[in-house]
Amino acid sequence: MKSMINIYQPQPAKIIFVNRESMDTKLFRFKFADKKIQSAFDFLPGQFMQIGLPGWGECPISICSSPHFSRKYFELAIRDAGVLTHKLNSLQKGDKVFVRGSYGNGFDVDLFKDKPLMLIGGGCGFVPLRPLIIDYLAGRLSTAMLQIFYGCRDENTLLFRDEYALWNRQAEFNIVLEKPSKKWGGEKGVITDLFPKRTITSNSVAILVGPPIMYRFVIKELKKKNIKDENIFLSLERKIHCGLGVCQHCAVGPYYVCQDGPVFRWSEIKNIPNVI
Amino acid sequence: MTKTLDKTALNKFLSALAKDFFIMAPQYAGEDVRVAEITNISDIDWTGQMPKNPWKQVFLPAAERLFNFNKNNITESRKQYPQIACVGMNVLDLKALTLFDQVFSDDVYYQQRRNNLLIIGFTADWPIDYKKYKVFSHNYEEDILEHLSFDIFVAKLKNNQLKIYSGSPRGQQLLEKYGIKDYKNIEFAGAVPEKGPDKRMLTLIDKVSKSYNKKLWSDLDKLCLACGKCSIACPTCFCFDFSDQLDPEESNRRRHWGNCFYNDFSKVAGGAKELDTVKKKIFFWYTHKFVRIPKEYALPGCVSCGRCTRACPVGIDIAKNIRELNK
Repeated sequence: MKSMINIYQPQPAKIIFVNRESMDTKLFRFKFADKKIQSAFDFLPGQFMQIGLPGWGECPISICSSPHFSRKYFELAIRDAGVLTHKLNSLQKGDKVFVRGSYGNGFDVDLFKDKPLMLIGGGCGFVPLRPLIIDYLAGRLSTAMLQIFYGCRDENTLLFRDEYALWNRQAEFNIVLEKPSKKWGGEKGVITDLFPKRTITSNSVAILVGPPIMYRFVIKELKKKNIKDENIFLSLERKIHCGLGVCQHCAVGPYYVCQDGPVFRWSEIKNIPNVI
Repeated sequence: MTKTLDKTALNKFLSALAKDFFIMAPQYAGEDVRVAEITNISDIDWTGQMPKNPWKQVFLPAAERLFNFNKNNITESRKQYPQIACVGMNVLDLKALTLFDQVFSDDVYYQQRRNNLLIIGFTADWPIDYKKYKVFSHNYEEDILEHLSFDIFVAKLKNNQLKIYSGSPRGQQLLEKYGIKDYKNIEFAGAVPEKGPDKRMLTLIDKVSKSYNKKLWSDLDKLCLACGKCSIACPTCFCFDFSDQLDPEESNRRRHWGNCFYNDFSKVAGGAKELDTVKKKIFFWYTHKFVRIPKEYALPGCVSCGRCTRACPVGIDIAKNIRELNK
């Protein structure tokens, strides 16, 4: 038994960089303490890590860095939303966490090749879209058009602001704020307000990450643009304990968000009761 | 010629085992037969009644400490696991154990514990409900025993003689060691029968998946208290939670039973709950038993032991609900 791998054993990782992204969210860059693990580490955009602190438990957080740099580091943007994430937000460069993963199916990027791509993110749900943007800008993802739609409450909750200039250069980048300050010169409203104003082609692949309410309204708009259910991908958020499809917390119908998801084709899950 | 054994010889064998193993077995506790630790072999209940509680706490404790966080590394909390003989597990409970063995096949904690368990099955006769379900034929050597995890199996014949089977090399060794030579060996042929998964089980997958709008679920929504007793009593419910204990000396991670009827089961940071009505909870429970487990393991998620029906304070009868869903 001594040689059987313990699938629940986390690995120590060190914070090598921290950046405050918004009022309640920080971006952390991690490196595994074990060099061998780091240099063999790989993941897909859309996958998540289980991150924890001794005595504080574990939680799932989507990876927001590009797989291109997976052998060097990985990044998580962590919002202060609960007891553990509050504690994690107090950590500094040099501090240690325990992680396991990566878990989940991630985005199958081959499906996006050379099709117009719409990335639609709401609030902190935007996080897992960042690896796709980074890879697109580096020419690793698709040669077709990229449209980014980002809906947020206000200026204080926007993430990755340092990168917008770059995104704007090669992609159509749209931000809409629900309750902006008076200084805000951009769009005001909810994310679905943007769709009638933009040119959206019906052969687009749409990737949605955000709260369930956003999914319900956005899917309705996408259907108006004749986008097929099988070209709509969404990432589901559920409670996760094991990350390996056993503990049942994240089950939706016949699937597990931690294994079969978090990314699902809308056509695969639309008949599951209460899925969004 | 059928090779048989009498009860005295069996008790002698079990008494010998008790020197090396803790014995867990069904015994009378008040009005009910319950699975509990046995100190006197003669206390074992051999009537074949379904114990009120399941066996699962022996394989997957209600709470267990997994590992400790020391300064820079993780150390396993437990180095040794007890030697326990589970004596008198009936066929339905062995089916549940066989499922657990699949579910936790790559779980080091389950496997370490399981390796120190000796499983001794028993049947006095088929449970009445079991015949009514007609899921299996009565040839237990080929249709039943070949597909169950066990070390030794004892079948009581009509003349009160006992027929002994071994189901593992370990079972064989122990029988030989204690001079029981008249046994038949059964080779485990995988959990799923060669002729394929149970057909009734397969048709239920679709029926349950598509049943959310049936009146049954809104009726259950009003009736069910979401107390979770069915899930605790169920021998196949294996949901679990991890939780940490903060300790300045040695924080540790634990695992304990989860319960999909409890509010925190689906609660994510920020407070949103996926299962926010009783209807959603009970539908989730049935979906696990009759959709997810059959799909993943090709095994039934319900072994029809009836414990949940017995445990339910408001009289929800799973057999009745399954008949309704089968309509």
